[in-house]
Amino acid sequence: MSMLINIIRSQDKAVRDQALDAFCRNASLDQLCAECAELDSFRRSSDNLYERVRALFFLYAVYRFHIPARLPADQIGRVPFDGYTNLLQRRFEEAIDIFLGMQAKHGLSDAIASALAESYHRLGFQTLANQVRKSVRSVAGNHWMFRIGHPADQPLRIRPELLPDTGDRSNHPILRETTPVRMDLTHSGWSDIFFLGMDFPEGARVLNVSIDLCIRDISGMNKPKPPVEAYFRVIDRPVLRLVSVDLEAVAEITSLAEVFDFARDYLGLLKGAVIASGIVPPGMEGAEQPLSDVLGRLVKPGYGIEIVSQVNNIPKGSRLAVSTNLLACLISVCMRATGQTRYLTGQLEEHERRLVAARAILGEWLGGSGGGWQDSGGVWPGIKLIQGEEAAEGDPEFEISRGRLLPSHQVLTETDVSMETREQLQQSLVLVHGGMAQDVGPILEMVTEKYLLRSESEWKGRQEAIKTLDYIIGYLKSGDVHNVGLATHRNFFGPIQTIIPWASNLYTETIIDRVRSEFIDDFWGFWMLGGMSGGGMGFIFHPQKKTSAQVKLQEIMSTVKHELENGVPFAMEPVVYDFAINEKGTTAELLHHDDALMPAGYYTQAVPSLLRKEARHMSALQRAELDRFSEACNVNPQLTGMMQKLFERLLPRPDQVGAGKKTLQELLDANGFDLEQHERIKADLRSGRIGLAQNRLPIGTKIEDVSPDDVTDATYGLGTLYKKMGMEALKEGMVAVITLAGGAGSRWTKGAGVVKALNPFCKMSGKHRNFIEIHLAKNRRITRKCGTSIPHIITTSYLTHEPIADVLTRERNFGHEGQVMLSPGRFVGLRLIPMSRDLRFAWEEMPQQLLDEQAQKVRESLHQALIGWAQSMGEANDYTDNLPLQCMHPVGHWYEVPNLLCNGVLAKLLDERPQLKYLMMHNVDTLGADVDPAILGHHIDSGSSMTCEVITKRLDDRGGGLARINGQLRLIEGLALPHEKVEFELSYYNTATTWIDIDQLLESFGLKRADLADQAVVTTAIHKLAARMPTYITLKDVKKRWGKGQEDIFPITQFEKLWGDMTALSELTFSFVAVSRLRGQQLKEPAQLDGWLRDGSEGHVDSICAW
Amino acid sequence: MKISKAVITAAGRKQRTLPLQTLIDSDGAEKSVLSIIVEEALRAGVDEICVVVQPGDAEQYAKVAGDHAGRLHFVSQHEALGYGHAVYCARDFVGNDPFLHLVGDHLYVSRTETGCAEQLVTLASKNACAVSAVQATRENLLPYYGTVRGARVAGTQDLYQIETVVEKPTPTEAEQSLIVPGMRAGHYLCFFGMHVLTPTVMDILGKLIQACGGNTRVSLSEALDELAGKERYLALEKHDWRYDVGVKYGLLTAQLALALSGKDRDEVLSKLIELLALRDQRATGR
Repeated sequence: MSMLINIIRSQDKAVRDQALDAFCRNASLDQLCAECAELDSFRRSSDNLYERVRALFFLYAVYRFHIPARLPADQIGRVPFDGYTNLLQRRFEEAIDIFLGMQAKHGLSDAIASALAESYHRLGFQTLANQVRKSVRSVAGNHWMFRIGHPADQPLRIRPELLPDTGDRSNHPILRETTPVRMDLTHSGWSDIFFLGMDFPEGARVLNVSIDLCIRDISGMNKPKPPVEAYFRVIDRPVLRLVSVDLEAVAEITSLAEVFDFARDYLGLLKGAVIASGIVPPGMEGAEQPLSDVLGRLVKPGYGIEIVSQVNNIPKGSRLAVSTNLLACLISVCMRATGQTRYLTGQLEEHERRLVAARAILGEWLGGSGGGWQDSGGVWPGIKLIQGEEAAEGDPEFEISRGRLLPSHQVLTETDVSMETREQLQQSLVLVHGGMAQDVGPILEMVTEKYLLRSESEWKGRQEAIKTLDYIIGYLKSGDVHNVGLATHRNFFGPIQTIIPWASNLYTETIIDRVRSEFIDDFWGFWMLGGMSGGGMGFIFHPQKKTSAQVKLQEIMSTVKHELENGVPFAMEPVVYDFAINEKGTTAELLHHDDALMPAGYYTQAVPSLLRKEARHMSALQRAELDRFSEACNVNPQLTGMMQKLFERLLPRPDQVGAGKKTLQELLDANGFDLEQHERIKADLRSGRIGLAQNRLPIGTKIEDVSPDDVTDATYGLGTLYKKMGMEALKEGMVAVITLAGGAGSRWTKGAGVVKALNPFCKMSGKHRNFIEIHLAKNRRITRKCGTSIPHIITTSYLTHEPIADVLTRERNFGHEGQVMLSPGRFVGLRLIPMSRDLRFAWEEMPQQLLDEQAQKVRESLHQALIGWAQSMGEANDYTDNLPLQCMHPVGHWYEVPNLLCNGVLAKLLDERPQLKYLMMHNVDTLGADVDPAILGHHIDSGSSMTCEVITKRLDDRGGGLARINGQLRLIEGLALPHEKVEFELSYYNTATTWIDIDQLLESFGLKRADLADQAVVTTAIHKLAARMPTYITLKDVKKRWGKGQEDIFPITQFEKLWGDMTALSELTFSFVAVSRLRGQQLKEPAQLDGWLRDGSEGHVDSICAW
Repeated sequence: MKISKAVITAAGRKQRTLPLQTLIDSDGAEKSVLSIIVEEALRAGVDEICVVVQPGDAEQYAKVAGDHAGRLHFVSQHEALGYGHAVYCARDFVGNDPFLHLVGDHLYVSRTETGCAEQLVTLASKNACAVSAVQATRENLLPYYGTVRGARVAGTQDLYQIETVVEKPTPTEAEQSLIVPGMRAGHYLCFFGMHVLTPTVMDILGKLIQACGGNTRVSLSEALDELAGKERYLALEKHDWRYDVGVKYGLLTAQLALALSGKDRDEVLSKLIELLALRDQRATGR
């Protein structure tokens, strides 16, 4: 029997918990392939969720990490296009069959291994997601909602207490629900991930505390209160009125389709609650009847309901599960209003809380998101131990998984944790929001994967994290908060980072260091909240120091943020909270007559539009509400200053540019904006002469893959002769390095507008390092070897220049002894509102990764909203509705070399070093690229104008490659290929690392070294060559920040000219060198980091650096 | 156990005129709804019948009861304190005897020669305990009925020992606590509007009414839930037909059902077909 299947199936814990890596370490390629074949057939036949999922993750890991290391590095393989399209369409089984068929026919290659790894990985998560969905639907109390499809079948009725008073029709009672948020006191290694609870219930345990919160203010006026609130009332119009006070969004919904349209506005969470509470049951999705039919049955004909949500000043990314608890709060209020709870007001009963929690999971799934099983902890009171439960007969999970989807909640009594200890905890803990709001989704996937693979150190870390929980419970029982702090601190620097190194970051660790040096022994420990650090965090101090610590922490966070904000994406200014343990959980009260008021913010939104209406057009409720509101403004302290706010709302003042900030026009003027070219591009876009579809080469273009003779294989090195030649050139100072760092790195930071090159993304040699620091460290190593300084040029743009210059000055070039020069950009573009034609092309005609069923629906709805946005803003109009820097764009890396000519950097360098003859230019994310003497020697020997480095392709290496285009050997951009399929027939991917012969390059511009001093000649030469380069239209995501940590992402249009197109110039000569993956691969997204760390790439980069 | 008394409730605000409506019964004779219900009770062997009405309604009821007027006792419900309270109004009439209870706005059509009430009374007599008629009902109708959970009595097809009774449950609650093994998904055992009850119910109702202090309405289901905890209480699953004359087109449907199950079936059927054919012709313009 297969060893790996034995590990999966064994009843013996010692065998079952064996690490995959331990087995693979000593296995041969043949053994691994044989194991994979058996595992694949095993996972197809097994009915057991755990067996299938673990087999899938084993297969993923073997194909991702272990097989590639044993395959010949120079082997060329291809990913079949039909397999790829199946993968995009989420037809994973079909994709796997195609890839395995290819393997059987042509043998295993690195390309096929990468495709299989990706397919198994996605199928694994899909299997898990399906099971979670099935289990949530199977929870007793939820089934019916999927069966009810016709409004006439709506079985719920509004409780009579909420119906308008028959004697006084203006009295519409309001049901108000208030809910605390939750904090996880233990962080047991992300053990609240659904699959962990379902497979390892005994290890899935957290200590979860319900808390009230407020932003700390110096006056002390703010008092902690439940951070989330929901209001429910019957209204006298047959509509579903949804209002989010904090997001300032309102919708009056009249169709069932709009209820299921989640991304149309900011009301997705409220819609999720309406559906998950059964008011509009999920079974009604797609029904054609008007919503008023449902409301008529629910309330009575002619009536509707209004649901209002409010989050009290808690920003996004707080790691306190605000959105899940708000969803739970909304679901709870809707369930109470429709008689699905025993009591209309007060606390919920235990079985009702469990149902609310299950429905919150359902609501999150409907909205295409999802958290952990402890997230709705705010529904329960006080401190509770939440733990996984073994599935028993009668549970929907029985015989499918070891544990149940929903854990059990044991509320700790005063005997367990005394009131004094609770008080002391409140006096010691300082809760903050550091300002970062990152997506923790990839982290949670990593945790699941590592759990299933039982990787040795991570598995050990998990055991330690589990023990930490027991220690913390013990300390709480004995009233020892000091030790709680020490334990959470140890947990963060031990198990948590062992399991997921990315949970920490430079920002967090700098704050901890400064807090430690400020408070020394009075700082008892750091405590990480939620998925990762940088957002919501806790610091535990001696109780006497709490107040001063709150003040100091605010200062430290603001300072550190300021120092790092150019390289680290922050969503908001850091804040310090005041908090109190909430001993009630979610509660509701019914407000009547004069007390039946919505929160103050509601009226700031609602009243101006009411005031614009004539009284006779108002309903009885609206008239009564205005009366009540104006009365309350005189007597209710919470409505103080309301009249002023209303005036401001009715007569808004224009936005003013902040002092010292440059306007967009000033920035454009300062950065070489070419208005003439811009207007031409706009006109061409509108007329359809250019666009995404027009980027492509004509369909008749003959595109062939290269032959082996076209490329020099350097994957195993190039021999000592070339190395010697290269080393000689280096010694003579003939080479400089150019690192391209002018781009926005939008895939890395999701359009946040920070500098990717400065992002301290990974710890190497004990410190967090950014991209530039690593590139300089590689230069340093070669410099030391050859004994001659290699000038290092970092190209910058309007977006990156000042931050990079600042950091290099502050960090003294990261200790780099050699010459470091910045080459500022001289060309810039202004972003445009996209053409709906291009949006449709990108989303409907290009192959798109289909998402999970519900997430896909949400995405499609978002796409429709964005197309509507583009049309309403005016297609191809200037994009100016954002911060000025976010409205501009770099114009593609083709301009980086012209920048060098324009800005005098090359001229200066050649003046200082007339012997300089070669440039090695590489992207900032090609971390393995260094000034390799052998490749340099080969370049010199070839006499080519340029040598381009390429790598064999894997599944994710998309965006063009090396090809023969109508017989000419050249690099081709993915954008220009007439069909996606063509790309899959190419063997090599462009790494964008290029060796350049300076004089030959200048010649292509029609220049000589001496001409560089004449700006006018240079400019004319650049314009002349630029006109021969194709212009590509691209769509980029741009973030717009607003509110409290909220972010919207808009697709915008910009243009680019790309360096690879230089290879189409017939007057230049080119060589192409195939290099190893470790050298040529690029880090484009943070989600790649874990694989990069585990597959030896990080080790390789470290080995070519000198720190 | 002998059941010789029946209680018919007809005091509901929206219910009070329904028993006065006239229909053609399955025997072809013109009768009031009240008469048809009374005859259902009489077929079950009941001698005395008490009708709970709103104050002032007794005279009209007596008029439409025809020949049966002499058997009827009228009791007025002076305060609108709910269904349970209406039943409780008949406590003096019931005394210490078991009784058949029917509602004044439902008509029943049996699938067999034996009347629905008759079957129920026979079963209750045999088992000497309270029995409620129930029917498998889809979850969308839960807002209209009291619903029971019970375990099937061994060796029977349609008899359940009632464990819980909930008045108009939400489907959420029904799914969590009212599922009966063997029922189709989304179906529950809901009251058929016909019960044989023991005098214990009156004691329970009395206590519940006292506890409420006349402030809230008392449902019969609440009392029946308590009854299930006190003594043996069965549910008989009926496959017959029940017609609520109080809903939209209820009276028409009930009339059609009576006609189609009686001696005028062919005549009514042919008239219906004629109507359909005529409508079809008009619709197609021929």
